[in-house]
Amino acid sequence: MNKKILLSILASLLFTTISIAQKSTLPSVNVKTLDGSNINITTIENDGNPIVISFWATWCKPCKKELNTIAENYEDWQDETGVKLVAISIDDTRSMAKVAPYVNASDWDYEVYLDPNGDLKRAMGVSTVPHTFLLNSKKEIVWQHKGYVDGDEDELLEQIEKLSK
Amino acid sequence: MKNIITLFSFILIITSCDVVEGPYLIDDGGITPVDTSSNTYVKKVLIEDFTGHTCPNCPAAARELEAIHDVYGTQIIGMALHVSTGFASPWTGAGKFEYDFRTKWGTDWDNFFDISNSGLPRGMVNRIGYPNEHKLGKNEWLAAVITELEKGIDFGIRIASDISGGNGTITINTELLNDVNGDYKLVVCLTESNIINWQKDGQTENEFYEHNHALRTVLLDESLSTSSSYTAGNKFERAITVSLSSLEQYNIDYSENTAINGSGNAGGWVAENMSVVAYIYNTITKEIVQVEEAHLTN
Amino acid sequence: MKKIIFLFSTLSISFLGFSQEVNFGEIHGDFDLNMQSYQEDNLIGAEPADEIILNNAYLNINYTKGDFSAGLRYESYLNALSDFDDDYKGNGIPFRYATYTIDGLEVTAGNYYEQIGSGLIFRSYENKGLGVDNAMDGVRLKYSPVKGVYLKTFIGKSRTYFTYSDGIIRGADGEVNLNEALNFNSKTKIIIGQGIVSRFQLDNNPKFKLPQNVAAYSSRLNIINGGWNYSGEYAIKLNDPIGSLTSEGNNYANGNALMSSLTYSQRGFGIVAEMHRVDHMEFRSERAQEKQYIINYIPTLTKQHTYTLLALNPCATQPEGEFGTQLDIFYKIKKGTILGGKYGTKISFNFSRISALNGGNSFLNDNTEHTPMLISIKGEELYFNDINLEIYKKINKKIKVTGVLAKQAYNKDVLEGKTPGTYGTVNSTIAIADISYKIKKGHTVRVELQELLADGGDGSWSMGLIEYTISPHWFFAAQDMYNWGNHDVKKQLHYVNINCGFLSGSNRFSIGYGKKRAGIFCVGGVCKEVPSSNGFSLTISSSF
Repeated sequence: MNKKILLSILASLLFTTISIAQKSTLPSVNVKTLDGSNINITTIENDGNPIVISFWATWCKPCKKELNTIAENYEDWQDETGVKLVAISIDDTRSMAKVAPYVNASDWDYEVYLDPNGDLKRAMGVSTVPHTFLLNSKKEIVWQHKGYVDGDEDELLEQIEKLSK
Repeated sequence: MKNIITLFSFILIITSCDVVEGPYLIDDGGITPVDTSSNTYVKKVLIEDFTGHTCPNCPAAARELEAIHDVYGTQIIGMALHVSTGFASPWTGAGKFEYDFRTKWGTDWDNFFDISNSGLPRGMVNRIGYPNEHKLGKNEWLAAVITELEKGIDFGIRIASDISGGNGTITINTELLNDVNGDYKLVVCLTESNIINWQKDGQTENEFYEHNHALRTVLLDESLSTSSSYTAGNKFERAITVSLSSLEQYNIDYSENTAINGSGNAGGWVAENMSVVAYIYNTITKEIVQVEEAHLTN
Repeated sequence: MKKIIFLFSTLSISFLGFSQEVNFGEIHGDFDLNMQSYQEDNLIGAEPADEIILNNAYLNINYTKGDFSAGLRYESYLNALSDFDDDYKGNGIPFRYATYTIDGLEVTAGNYYEQIGSGLIFRSYENKGLGVDNAMDGVRLKYSPVKGVYLKTFIGKSRTYFTYSDGIIRGADGEVNLNEALNFNSKTKIIIGQGIVSRFQLDNNPKFKLPQNVAAYSSRLNIINGGWNYSGEYAIKLNDPIGSLTSEGNNYANGNALMSSLTYSQRGFGIVAEMHRVDHMEFRSERAQEKQYIINYIPTLTKQHTYTLLALNPCATQPEGEFGTQLDIFYKIKKGTILGGKYGTKISFNFSRISALNGGNSFLNDNTEHTPMLISIKGEELYFNDINLEIYKKINKKIKVTGVLAKQAYNKDVLEGKTPGTYGTVNSTIAIADISYKIKKGHTVRVELQELLADGGDGSWSMGLIEYTISPHWFFAAQDMYNWGNHDVKKQLHYVNINCGFLSGSNRFSIGYGKKRAGIFCVGGVCKEVPSSNGFSLTISSSF
């Protein structure tokens, strides 16, 4: 009995150290750009500055709220931290055509990519949108957040500022 | 380079298509139905078609059943069970759809096998696939029939019906053709065909639709015997006394007193259009292992 | 014992130490749990579940190391929620795969999802909310021989519930980005693609000749020039009769579908014009089967609404025959102008209209031959019509307002598969006000008031919602839907629901209680009927 408990404690410690020790990087999956080409998500760069990856869809109200709210202060965020926001739209063929017009009409300055069959979404373990990831200078995922309520952008900014120190 | 070759060889394998030119009907006479006139027993299949007179998509299923019967002959036995308040309850005062085809047993089986909740038309072929895959849409019946007809038989049933003036005796003789283990039940029903009455058919309402194999009553639903193991050659005989007028009255009472929105308009049986359907099923798997049909009157 | 302790500690330390240099690969995944309790409620017609509690749960685990990745998904339906097909039963690992990339050739063995073009001829995807998952099980190859050329080919069987189809599905797709491939720099970008899918299934029909290999082809074109973007796809499906024994049941006509969209956008303005014409284009993994076996995807050409009453009567694509058009206009009135106000005002306009094809879809057998007209709108049966306008304005630092006005026409008989003449067309006028007020930093309250006025169907509805959120962790919501306009007085009911949840990082918990209205829930072109229910609900989702 004692042996079993000790064994299971050791096993869980091992798995914990593995998960702490392991890095979390971007999976090698292709996404589409708004002008029709395919790029691999691992090729996005920001000169060692933080990168925010946010999954959204034109039919997702909290997603649009999040991205519109950040858009109001995006320039300031960029000046302060050099962050780049990459918005991945999971709109499928039903609403894919509306992505570019919506992005332009909303005056966003983000890099927008399309993931119509959910390949990147599944590879990154996203089940509901919005889902936002923060990558450090080595493009490792250091923070993530599901959902959006008014005020969450402040927490995101805090996390970004932690990285750029 | 080798990648391109791999890819192209793969593509060549997969690109294939058939375009069939009309006429589409195979003109070779189709399948020769198995000769069932001799004394040997053959495998027969029961198709239970759950339907309703205000179900506009249901006649298509009845036509599919007839088409299967045309191809395979007397090996196919059909039974139409009118179920569900939505599609089978009679209308009052409308001058149409006023007949109540529902029966106590049809409703019980519908509840047990959960058929009409998945939408009508829907049915079962020898009740195979119970408990998860027994509800089959009309387009799935053919494949199930083909599988069933390839099976061997362990039971043989013979029906002798001696009815005149609405009364008499029906005798069911069952014979074991192989050694068998299991619990089996024998069910004996009466169905009626050629009932002319209203039916919704697609966009139309047909006043003179011919309803066939409608379940009227279940005379017997009991264990074949007390034992769970049978040897080849075992025989069982069951004699059932029949009084059509009291069976008819039972349905009228059921419609008036028990059925939801029933009207009591469930009579008018015509003995000459009726048949006896007897089947044996396995109590655990519910699968119908043999079925037989015979005219009620001669 | 001592040996074991020594072994484990060595392993742990070495992991921590070497993790900086040696790549052991990564394990990621996500977990979802959805549990509901079902109580009887005769007023709304909610049936109790024998099990009282129904539960769906999924666990995805993915392992990646360099060019290799493998993973699996464990699904548990004990038993499936009532809005799912009850054919989802039990537990299992219905999804497992391994992918390896060698010299640019990506090979996947096991389960995979794939889409050809827009999905008109083939789309294997999953949407857990709808209970759709037609993953393929087989082999897929992807390769890009030169820059701008993308080839892929696959073979496999399609998943339905926990089993795979009888039909064997093969497909290939080639896409060429002319600018990248031919290496010319131009403001105009052209992308062309061609796909083919073929299904093999034996012909054991004794009465009719059935094609054993049914193929579908699609060609697509995408032209982009500055703010302009044109995208079109045309698909043909060769003879695909169901395999009935009745002559009227078998339709040997070829199916076809055309999708076309033209968009223009610039800063502050965007316009989208789309049309589609679908004729006998439902493609299934097995000939004679039902909707769960569909392997293509014809998206509904209407706006996907998020407000409840706007989505009360959703449109469903009729893959056997429909003609649709849609127009979207997005405009941002600049800040500083009179109409724009201090922060600017955003306007979204949408119009869509779906109608039947002239005389129904293409039909061909020994007795009849019918081909509908190419374009015929006048006089054709209307399936769905939606015209709506949404205005969003930030009044000041604390208040944001969204207002929506819409008018919809919904052919309930056709779209819900009911007998023609039962309900007719439901015309509704809808008005919505959505106001959010920021009380202080991190605390926001949002109120939604919705009103739907209609004559047919269920009649008129009102809805009120109040939501209080505390960033970054908490949310509370309460809503009531009231069917005050129902012609049947007994059905003029309140559907009250309360919800609260906790979010932290990649974890989300939410508990709710209340009544849910029976309805149709549609995403894309797939709809499912959801029965009414009354009870608790618990949702847990987490990613790692």
